[in-house]
Amino acid sequence: MATPLTREPAIDPVALRVFVYDETLARGRPPSSAVIGARFDTSPREARRALASLNIGKTVLVDPRSGEIWMAGPFSAVASAYRVVSGSRDWWANCAWDMFGVSMIANERVLIETRCTDCAEPMTIACDPAVEPSDDAVVHFLLPASHWYDDIGFT
Amino acid sequence: MSIFRSEEHVRQWIRAHDYQMGAVVPLSQVWRLARAWYNDPRSASWRPRTRDESQAVLASVGLTGDFWELRR
Repeated sequence: MATPLTREPAIDPVALRVFVYDETLARGRPPSSAVIGARFDTSPREARRALASLNIGKTVLVDPRSGEIWMAGPFSAVASAYRVVSGSRDWWANCAWDMFGVSMIANERVLIETRCTDCAEPMTIACDPAVEPSDDAVVHFLLPASHWYDDIGFT
Repeated sequence: MSIFRSEEHVRQWIRAHDYQMGAVVPLSQVWRLARAWYNDPRSASWRPRTRDESQAVLASVGLTGDFWELRR
């Protein structure tokens, strides 16, 4: 007698996207596939499959080896040069553009702890999502926009 | 996209690493870019932008010209 195939319940992509960002904002890091699986009453494997097929451009990217979230723009799952702090919470941003994006999505005033890419001098930038900053610092875009997505990690 | 204390620090870093100079953008303009670019992905109506919509966001904060042209 043939063994019936067990089919795990599919995760709704919108609910998954909302959960990923809710968790990231609340806990500072994107959720693991184990946490996602527990939330949606399915396995980590199904969670990784759902993450890989989210199909929302470059917004949520997974590590091709582990299948876990690598970045959920503008948040990074791994430590970066841009630490964004609000009260007792902190997040890692992918780049100097995304450090402001974290403040926009959280809709909170934050402090950004970073360093000059050239001389490594510590820099602290206050970001209010409603007030343009007046700091003298600059951001360098090394690659033209047509190459931003060639290698998103390098960009 | 990396932060520097000033454009002079960008030039020093470019020389040290033998990179080509890209575009140097004031922090205030990058803040305006982030504000225009990032919508809350927790909204049920959120969707990824098309290439042309993204290009329009760049233009809306004054980032125009060949360097800012997204791939078609």
